Amino acid sequence: MNMKRTARGLVAATLTAAAIAAVPAYAHHSFSIFDASQTKTFTGVVTRVNPDANHLQIFFAPMNAERTNVERGADGKPIIWAVEMAGSAASAQQGISVSEFPAGTVFTVSLHPLRSGDPAGAREGALYKCPQKAPAQAGGRIQWQPPPAGKNCDAVQGSTAIGAGFDPAQQAQQSQTARPAGGSN
Amino acid sequence: MRQVLKNTAIFAAATLLTSVAAGQQIANTGFKSVGRGWPLAADLRDYQLTGPTIPVGFANGAVVRGSWDQFVGSAHHGAAPKGVEPLPVDLFTTKDFYKDRELWKDPRYFRCNSPAGIEEAWGANTTATIGDNPPASAAWGYCDRDYPREGIVSPYPFKTAQEHYEALLAETTKRGGAHHRPTAEQLEDWTGRYAHPGNTTDAQADWTGRNKSNSPQSYWYRGRHNQIPTILSLLTPEYQQRMVQEAYHAGNTNAPQWPSQYCWPEGFMRRWHEFAVWEWHIIAAPSVVQIVTGVARNFITTIHVDREMKTDGSVPRLGQDVPRWYGETVGFWDGDTLITWTSNIQGWKVHSAFEYSNKMQTIEIYTPNRDRSGRFLGLNHEAIFYDPEALVEPIRIIRNYVKTSGFDQGDPYVFIDCVQTIFPIEGRSTPVSPGTVIEYEVPDIYGRPWAHIWEKYFEEGMEKPKGEDIFSFD
Repeated sequence: MNMKRTARGLVAATLTAAAIAAVPAYAHHSFSIFDASQTKTFTGVVTRVNPDANHLQIFFAPMNAERTNVERGADGKPIIWAVEMAGSAASAQQGISVSEFPAGTVFTVSLHPLRSGDPAGAREGALYKCPQKAPAQAGGRIQWQPPPAGKNCDAVQGSTAIGAGFDPAQQAQQSQTARPAGGSN
Repeated sequence: MRQVLKNTAIFAAATLLTSVAAGQQIANTGFKSVGRGWPLAADLRDYQLTGPTIPVGFANGAVVRGSWDQFVGSAHHGAAPKGVEPLPVDLFTTKDFYKDRELWKDPRYFRCNSPAGIEEAWGANTTATIGDNPPASAAWGYCDRDYPREGIVSPYPFKTAQEHYEALLAETTKRGGAHHRPTAEQLEDWTGRYAHPGNTTDAQADWTGRNKSNSPQSYWYRGRHNQIPTILSLLTPEYQQRMVQEAYHAGNTNAPQWPSQYCWPEGFMRRWHEFAVWEWHIIAAPSVVQIVTGVARNFITTIHVDREMKTDGSVPRLGQDVPRWYGETVGFWDGDTLITWTSNIQGWKVHSAFEYSNKMQTIEIYTPNRDRSGRFLGLNHEAIFYDPEALVEPIRIIRNYVKTSGFDQGDPYVFIDCVQTIFPIEGRSTPVSPGTVIEYEVPDIYGRPWAHIWEKYFEEGMEKPKGEDIFSFD
């Protein structure tokens, strides 16, 4: 996908102690429950944001490939995924909050999924909010403009990237190319 | 084994997880004390990471995972280190770790992983090192790297916290300082925000002005510089077994049970765990000092000055005969140095470290670090841990907190109640969406609930040594 490189060049960055002060809450649970070798990217509709202290969670219903509706289970109900990230205060510092992601927001997120296969994951990289429709288009309501079929919010003119991060595709490529078959030092 | 310090981390080494340097500065007491400010037997700055790990970095508020070309360790993906003969069975291949007790003394049983290295095998905080055929393909740390036991154990001659506290009180009285409370200006120095040691450098904490290092401070308790047998040597047999059980389920089954993930109590010793406690917020008054902290902002240490412990119960206490998650603390001032004694603590655990019992007690000394001009830099925090049930001898942790501001700026400290969103599903911690119906076994909080989960779901067929039979009357 054509994700913006919001943090290009981070790998080579020299980090200062001051930078560490911005590190989010990061020890509430082990991240080994997530499979960091996999990155899934979803465009979906926000159903709720839980501003929990340890990890803010966004619950969302992934959209279908045509971007015409959300995916539904056999019972006809939307399938709900959860993506967790830093604590709510640290997330708010990045612009990710309950008020910034009200129910109905169409957005794109990349995540490392649970190893168990359950529908949840750990956020990777920035979030991309699709733009709102013009009021006349939305019948006076607030509505978001889904991306074209097969595309994500970052491909929509007027979308906004929120939250620090790095390009998961770039990271995955680095991990693969740098991973040796085995060896010893 | 002593190692020459060198920079191994490509990520500039200025991260908490990659830190190879350390703040090992002791307090400036100004005199030879009977029980505080004694030098360390080994300086962590002289020791490299044991590994294995793939360092993580932080930038722009985001975590940046490392890749394999930054691997710190001696072998990976099933290979063995050159010159090291693997054991026929180890933590990553055993079918019953309880039967391997004799092997626990050998670092090779843990593939020379540090406690933190074991935890990182499956990517607890950073890129997983477990390899393509887990858990058998687990990586190796460096077998010749180990912060020595002498640097961990208490150098003081005391057998109990009470004995230690009374000796310090007598010494201070003799020197004319006992109960000599700080001035208003000194209390103003104390009051304010202090940075996490990893967020400040050795140079910022150094009262001598000689240390110019810009490396983040560190201390041994996070377990990045040790072989696991060295930590086991500090523990009684029962607590050795508990620590190996922890290591097995972190490194082999990938079923870590961190208490905070379920909103269980963090526990007393999490006050020293690197990622559990970030900045300190201290409010100091002559008769009481309160330290609030925690990554989840739920730790409160209240030091009751010039109060006395009751000693008629199972352990010394200030209040009722009820063990408390963070204990009860008394203390006395020696000028602007505060000497404290904490007891009546509920036993619990810290992930990747070791469990402790209800007999845990500490002596903690908070000594101002001032530069040569007398300017207040922060606090040296020396803690000595006494737990005759878990520890074979007392141990010590020293760290330095640098003051960053008063309370007249910055975000407020907000106490946080943990809201549970993660539940054990088939023994594995799993985020669960609201409205989901799950089968849930109510945990026995006072009965090592983490161990119950492991034993139920992941230790089938193992022969755990039997505990005491309370129903036998023969």
